[in-house]
Amino acid sequence: MSELATLARPYAEAVFKRAKETGSSQEWSESLAFLSTVMQDEELAEITNNPKVSEQQLVTLILDICKDQVKNEGINFIKLLVENSRLNLAPQIAELFESYKAEDEGYVDVDVITAYALTKAEEKSFAVSLKKKLNKAVNIKASVDNSLIGGFLVKAGDSVIDGSISGQLQQLAKRI
Amino acid sequence: MQLNPSEISDLIKKRIENFDVNVEAHTEGTVVSVTDGIVKVHGLSEAMQGEMLEFPGESYGMALNLERDSVGVVMLGAYQHITEGDTVKCTGKILEVPVGEALLGRVVDALGSPIDGKGEIDTDQTSPVEKIAPGVIARQSVDQPIQLGLKSIDAMIPVGRGQRELIIGDRQTGKTAIAIDAIINQKGTGVKCIYVAIGQKRSSIANVVRKLEEHGAMDHTIIVSATASESAALQFIAPYTGCSMGEYFRDKGEDALIIYDDLTKQAWAYRQMSLLLRRPPGREAYPGDVFYIHSRLLERAARINVEEVEKLTNGKVKGKTGSLTALPIIETQGGDVSAFVPTNVISITDGQIFLESDLFNSGIRPAVNAGLSVSRVGGAAQTKIVKKLGGGTRLDLAQYRELAAFAQFASDLDESTRKQIERGQRVTELMKQNQYSPMSVAEMGISLHAANEGFLDDLEVDKVLDFEAALQSYMKSEHADLIKTINETGDYSKEIKKGIQSAIETFIKTSSW
Repeated sequence: MSELATLARPYAEAVFKRAKETGSSQEWSESLAFLSTVMQDEELAEITNNPKVSEQQLVTLILDICKDQVKNEGINFIKLLVENSRLNLAPQIAELFESYKAEDEGYVDVDVITAYALTKAEEKSFAVSLKKKLNKAVNIKASVDNSLIGGFLVKAGDSVIDGSISGQLQQLAKRI
Repeated sequence: MQLNPSEISDLIKKRIENFDVNVEAHTEGTVVSVTDGIVKVHGLSEAMQGEMLEFPGESYGMALNLERDSVGVVMLGAYQHITEGDTVKCTGKILEVPVGEALLGRVVDALGSPIDGKGEIDTDQTSPVEKIAPGVIARQSVDQPIQLGLKSIDAMIPVGRGQRELIIGDRQTGKTAIAIDAIINQKGTGVKCIYVAIGQKRSSIANVVRKLEEHGAMDHTIIVSATASESAALQFIAPYTGCSMGEYFRDKGEDALIIYDDLTKQAWAYRQMSLLLRRPPGREAYPGDVFYIHSRLLERAARINVEEVEKLTNGKVKGKTGSLTALPIIETQGGDVSAFVPTNVISITDGQIFLESDLFNSGIRPAVNAGLSVSRVGGAAQTKIVKKLGGGTRLDLAQYRELAAFAQFASDLDESTRKQIERGQRVTELMKQNQYSPMSVAEMGISLHAANEGFLDDLEVDKVLDFEAALQSYMKSEHADLIKTINETGDYSKEIKKGIQSAIETFIKTSSW
């Protein structure tokens, strides 16, 4: 996982710089996300790893799948990845690209996990308080997980704010 | 111990009552790979070097390699239950161990948890295992002796409080025996002892504990044990753990003695960890910083001055200096002191006690090689009597060694040479001492005086030890007050000299041995 990130980093950086120059980061983001989903398909993974499939065939196949989502420079990028046989890095590249983009635009993606679904108002108040805490605009992605029992769990990158009942029970268990 | 059930539930109830619910914020990562006790973790962007990391199932690891996308963690203890994808939490704390008086008399593992079955350790103080050594301003020069209770060492290779004196030698030369005698001899002196066993057999540690208990030396001793079966990480941190426990006493103006038995095995454990962490190997496959692991450890053994003690105790302890004396042990292979780790540690310490298997096998125990052993600072700390008398002993032995080799070839020796050889033989014999029978300053002074004044010269060589034993018991029964004065003052004044001289003369006239 970490080794893949190291390999994917130069690609992601290059794409991000290019996207900034041309002001097309939103398009790039979409096409990378699409490419990443495509590459996670098992059948396609089999094809990419099959030595009988030539580079040319692979490029044609991928471009055929992605033709609506990927434009000029994207096509070149896919060709480059195939040439360097790094096509399987697409998910990592997409992930790193998103993190660069988020950093550049000054927001963080935050996962808010709660035991029960949040109302719109609650989500808003979460956004306000998290913005204060993290000193950055937040992009909330809410989800529901019953195993928390109650409370909430906020994940922003590596840092976690655990205000859930299950987390507190674990703390209590440790204390005893 | 029988636990009262209501007591437990009361305890738990109290803990539940006192448990304050708070929102916990921490940094998380995921386990990528687990290999031989080394765990690679993705994420953990805020982890510190040496930070404790919490793994599922109440196990902990120490962050050692901080890389761009991952953290290399070495597990402290069992890691069999860790699997790929487990979450790892930062604790925000560098590894800490319990310290305090309550540890005295206990046997603990490298993390400070008791392993002697005597229940919990009642202390609330903890201290990080890795600390920076006292600075230049905080230090005071070594000028008080610490008696190891062995004639050959206290007379010729004196150790001062706050000194680092290496004990080096092959396997089976009596390195541990010297250390144990040193601990036994601290009984009643107020010096606290810490014995750190690294990579040893559990049976040997049990033996040490038993011997110390037998001689009533366990009450002032802490034993930190990281046996051969424990993980390399624990063997690596055990000396630092012991050092922190010793620093506790040093910092409150007391004297402590720490024995690292032995640092070769610690270096091996560190080599194993480093190679598994894929750090580049250097000489003898040790990593580049193998010098630093020992130098930073031994630098923490120091004597600190009155002001520093006052500062560290917030003014509670005034007018006292604190010291931590270290006796690291290094095991050589085939007497090779020029191997990597031995040379490193020799260069760090303030002298070495060099033990030889040849001497050991020829019955000279402790098998101290008086020529190669040195103490670079201890001379300033010797008691007056031992210093005055020990100088002669050292000289006698040096001359003897020089002549002995040469005398093997010459059958006809002039009078003075023969005398020197005979004196040397007797002094060598006198330097022998049984295990677990450390001597006080006065006893040592009397024996050395007898040798210096030539009382031994008329004896058969194999009668020297019998003579000494008889003399000591005579002195103890007839001249207890003289022994007491010497032990209290440590002086070798005219009266004392005369007292010893006349006592020995009467002893020779009246007694048989």
